[in-house]
Amino acid sequence: MNRQTAHLRVNGRVYELEVDSGATLLDTLREDLGLTGTKRGCSEGECGACTVLVDGVTVNSCLYPTMKASGHDILTVEGLGTMENLHPLQEAFLRGGAVQCGFCTPGMLLAAKALLDGNPNPTEDEIRLAISGNLCRCTGYAKIVSAVQDAARTMADGGSVGAHVPPLNVVEPVTVRGPAASAGGVGANVPRLEGKAKVLGAARFADDLSFPGMVHGKVLRSPHPHALIRKIDVSRAVALPGVAAVVTAADIPGRNAFGILIKDQPFLAADKVRFVGEAIAAVAAESGEIARRACSLIEVEYELLPAVFDPIEAMTPTAPQLFAKGNISAHRHIERGQVTAVLAQAAVVISETFQTQLVEHAYIEPEAGVAVPDTGGITAHVVSQCVHYHRSDLAAMLGWPVGRVRVVQTTVGGAFGGKIDLSLHPFIVLLAAKTGRPVKMVYTREESITATTKRHPFLIDMTFAADREGTLDAAMTRVIGDTGAYASYGPAVVTRAAATAFGPYHIPHVRVDTYAVHTNNPIAGAMRGFGVPQMATAHEQLMDMLAERVGLSPIEVRRRNGFAPGRALAPTGDIRDGLGYLETLERAAFGLHPSVGGDGADPQVLPLRGERL
Amino acid sequence: MAESADHALALLTELDGTGRVIAGGTDLMLDQRVGNPRVLVDISRLPEWRSIEHRGDRIRVGALCTHNDLATSALLQERAVALVRAAAAVGSPQIRMVATVGGNVVNALPAADTAIALAALGATAEVRSAAGTREVDLLSLYAGVGKSTIDPTREILTGFSFPIPGGSGFKRLARRKALALPVLNVAAAVWMDDGLACSDVRISIGPVAPAPWRALEAEHVLRGSVLTRETISRAAHTAMATAVCRDSIRACSLYRQSMVQVLVRRALLQALEGGCDE
Repeated sequence: MNRQTAHLRVNGRVYELEVDSGATLLDTLREDLGLTGTKRGCSEGECGACTVLVDGVTVNSCLYPTMKASGHDILTVEGLGTMENLHPLQEAFLRGGAVQCGFCTPGMLLAAKALLDGNPNPTEDEIRLAISGNLCRCTGYAKIVSAVQDAARTMADGGSVGAHVPPLNVVEPVTVRGPAASAGGVGANVPRLEGKAKVLGAARFADDLSFPGMVHGKVLRSPHPHALIRKIDVSRAVALPGVAAVVTAADIPGRNAFGILIKDQPFLAADKVRFVGEAIAAVAAESGEIARRACSLIEVEYELLPAVFDPIEAMTPTAPQLFAKGNISAHRHIERGQVTAVLAQAAVVISETFQTQLVEHAYIEPEAGVAVPDTGGITAHVVSQCVHYHRSDLAAMLGWPVGRVRVVQTTVGGAFGGKIDLSLHPFIVLLAAKTGRPVKMVYTREESITATTKRHPFLIDMTFAADREGTLDAAMTRVIGDTGAYASYGPAVVTRAAATAFGPYHIPHVRVDTYAVHTNNPIAGAMRGFGVPQMATAHEQLMDMLAERVGLSPIEVRRRNGFAPGRALAPTGDIRDGLGYLETLERAAFGLHPSVGGDGADPQVLPLRGERL
Repeated sequence: MAESADHALALLTELDGTGRVIAGGTDLMLDQRVGNPRVLVDISRLPEWRSIEHRGDRIRVGALCTHNDLATSALLQERAVALVRAAAAVGSPQIRMVATVGGNVVNALPAADTAIALAALGATAEVRSAAGTREVDLLSLYAGVGKSTIDPTREILTGFSFPIPGGSGFKRLARRKALALPVLNVAAAVWMDDGLACSDVRISIGPVAPAPWRALEAEHVLRGSVLTRETISRAAHTAMATAVCRDSIRACSLYRQSMVQVLVRRALLQALEGGCDE
């Protein structure tokens, strides 16, 4: 690829630099100019985190050739405002709580700026259209939209920022116990501590870090869901100029097994792979491109094994077994009362099967980190939701005392449970130990989706038994969670699922069986709610069916069964504190239909049939 | 960066098959990453291929017009609303600011929204090479899924031309409002004779075939007749009955097929009623 000279005017400053003719504006801004406020989320124009303005127009800089921008005006988040003088949009995002993880924020701000430049008084629809190319996984967009409206008002008032604009989205403090707190206390609207750095594009995410002498890491992954590894030959990769180190399972000095609950996953597969995307070798090289080429030169000889993708099939004795101990990773059983007897005599019995899907967290920031060797140890600056656990497993991998490994959590661009597990951490730490140099690794979006954990898909059989008035007497459920190739948080997810199996409803007789089952699917682990949301899809639909069967409104049937002081028997026992269910229900009902919620609503007059909660 | 049309063609000739035309690049930049990168000849700053003009009873659209150019064109809004709606549905604001209508056609994907609209409008395409300019039917540019008969190492798609219809419409079904490829997209254009009868009509549907698919039998139902809700419903039913839809990750064939009827009816109604939605 040939080199060309680009003339860029970025945030008012003129740069002349040599770039590859195929270089993207994103690469040039981040790597050559050090303007790391512009984020890399997907590298294919889907997420909008890399949005910048070229001659005032929004573009995805990940798809925009640098040479196309030559001779033109570019605005990045660094040119929007300063620490002392924030742009009204930056002020409004801070004030309105429109910044959470902050990874989509720079692109979102620039999309909003392009809108307001051409349309100082946009409608909500116009704002939503203008930011429709910018994905946010944290906020649900509502606060971003109102922050843009807030900024538009501020700018219409002459651009002055400030105190006279009442803050939006201030939720009226909810009285929990005692009087609502006054300013500064509980319920007060306070700016996010690191929010200013985030709106300025100055927050340092892991991919924004760089150290002298740094090399770049890549991982070789299994293309097979289930196979024995017969041989790994790294000699051609090692011989490639620019390669600093290649590591396989044989290079792990300590324990080649990790997992937050069960240490069943190898850092690098030694004798067997159990899912497509399992790591086999890692390479550090002078550039990411060389590391990628080196990975392609590693030869792995596999003996393919039959694979299993259906957890029901995986529970049978004839199914391919992922582990010597079998495919059942965890089983939770709870039983109380006489379920069988009650079911046999109940006036109303409803039984259904529900299936929920695998979900990818899709945080806008892919996994990234840099491991830096220092005197006697290694410091990993890396995405994390769990630094202490990460540190102990990484030290065990190296066979080092835990004090020699430090894990520093960088600013994290969304996680939702997906960054609780180790991902690229062991590779950069192992490569740093071997090379003595800082090693950086950033997952591609494809890699992030292939190799990291997911929400468990559940198969739920659930039965409710009630009397003719709709009062629940017994319930039972069997839940199969597909935990994929390794345990991760699977045992905890099915424990939570068991404990909350029937939601916030008082049921005297219960039987619960939940399983985490191994398959050759991607690993399922922690994700928002830990199995509880899956169970809600089942018990809430059954509640609606029960309402229909006994002729009550969906709200009334919940009133009759919902947890209340003295009536709160969950599968795990009597709940005595924090019972806000009925109050929540009434508020939700009031929100749906002011005439039906609140005290004294008459269930006979208000059937609300067909209206689901 | 080509400085003129002739310069662009001269560069391609000089590179002799090793160069490749780039306009917006929103698809090409992804291919460059995985394939063998080639030298790119950037034609996106050539103003002569980025205009929308009224020429007699036809409209000419330069291939370098961005989707945003089409979506905000007053002329197209008045005379060819199908193309406006199609362009506004593509990708995201960022993509529409950069991606060109020429690229949407040369990339030859069956779901390409503006190609579906251009097919309904009966567009021809102008293709330039060092050997001269040829004008061909839009549909003849399709050689298969993602394959165009245009050789991007030697030829440049420079524009489209279509007869101004009496009315046109475009309807699209997708899982989200932005950044989503269509499950189904339908464009319709009608031309009226001096009376009230329909002298010509074109209905094109994607993604059901490698190229925009013309619902010829449905068109036959309408051609020569007065368009009423009844005839439109009959044509929509015929379109559904004759369309062969496929299963894909975005929708099953049965669902697609059922929706053909709905979208064809709505697109025709939009064509008749000048943009009013059902």
